[in-house]
Amino acid sequence: MTPVALGLIGLALALPVPALLARARWPHRSPAAAIVMWQSLALAAILATSGAGLATALWLVTDEDPAPWRIVAHVVVLGVGLMVWARFWWAAWHVWRDTQRRRGRHRELVDLLGEPHGLAPAVRILAEQTPVAYCIPRLRDSRVVLSSGALENLDEESVAAVLEHERAHVRTRHDLVLEAFSVLRRAYPRVLRTDAPLRQSQLLVELMADDAARRRVGDAPLARAIVALAGSRTPAGALGAGGDALVRLERLRDADRSSWWATTLAIAISCAVLVVPTVALAVPWMAHALEVLLTR
Amino acid sequence: MPRLGDLERAVMNVLWDAAGPLSVREVLDALPDELAYTTVMTVLDRLGAKDMVQRERAGRAFRYLPARSRDEATAEVLHAALDEAGGDRTSALVHFARSVDAAEAAALRAALEEIERGAGT
Repeated sequence: MTPVALGLIGLALALPVPALLARARWPHRSPAAAIVMWQSLALAAILATSGAGLATALWLVTDEDPAPWRIVAHVVVLGVGLMVWARFWWAAWHVWRDTQRRRGRHRELVDLLGEPHGLAPAVRILAEQTPVAYCIPRLRDSRVVLSSGALENLDEESVAAVLEHERAHVRTRHDLVLEAFSVLRRAYPRVLRTDAPLRQSQLLVELMADDAARRRVGDAPLARAIVALAGSRTPAGALGAGGDALVRLERLRDADRSSWWATTLAIAISCAVLVVPTVALAVPWMAHALEVLLTR
Repeated sequence: MPRLGDLERAVMNVLWDAAGPLSVREVLDALPDELAYTTVMTVLDRLGAKDMVQRERAGRAFRYLPARSRDEATAEVLHAALDEAGGDRTSALVHFARSVDAAEAAALRAALEEIERGAGT
């Protein structure tokens, strides 16, 4: 029973639950809690799936005097499980290294091309008409890049809003959140793969950074900055994922601020999906299996 | 004494603005600060390691030129920045806002008007 139950939980957490959560609206009001929830769902899915594999492998050999096919199946299940784990860490390593290299190269070029700006030490201004604004997050010495085209489109307060927004990304290490979900997405087998966690966390970190910016400079300058940079002429071939800018703006428009009950509920659910299957299923089963194996 | 990063940028700008390959001495003379010859050598070596500067032998010394023009380097940065906005899910960069289509831009401006009105009252 336990392997099946864990397997079903793992499957549910991998596909239907993310699809449901991606459609919910409350995360826009409590982005931080929602990110925690996405993280705990992902972790719970991994734990449940690993648990299901391990429990199956153990179940196969907990018989008195297991039949040969059971021992073969045990080895196969363990082998497949190990391969999935290896694949996961391999993907993690690849995403991480690839991202570091691209960031490193990008920052080198930006440091050589961009003029430092009096506003903040990490800001670089690119002499380029295409309006762009982004940050290059790194462990040390992150950079915030603005093009002169972007600066021309922004008033002083909006520039402050953009900078505060980007500083929030860097300060709160939003890149690590996104990287973890990038790794997950690439590591999951194709049939179980979903864009939702990465896609949603990309939006949620923007909302968190927006909150930091609006606290500092207010709603209107931030809204002007979003419209100026998202609504400006589209550089060829660079049409964005879309949708995010409108969500962010509607959020600024509807003074529907953070909701404590959504936050509390989200944190509670996040803890529950991690604790309940572990305590109710995994631990008793493992204890039982170990007991059987040790007393034999 | 300027920081190394600033020096690299200054040297790159000298090379980018030059009509042709320059010797270390010529780079040194074009820089506004009084620098040691060896400092400029070091900076040029570092830029070479970053694949930004090429050198060619001229008699007994080397002459240095940019590996890519300023425009090419800017294009590379912009390409990386905009390409990612196009939908690469494993981005190295975190964008402030991605560009939207015309319909969405109109919706954005409408929402902005409401926010500005709200802020004004």
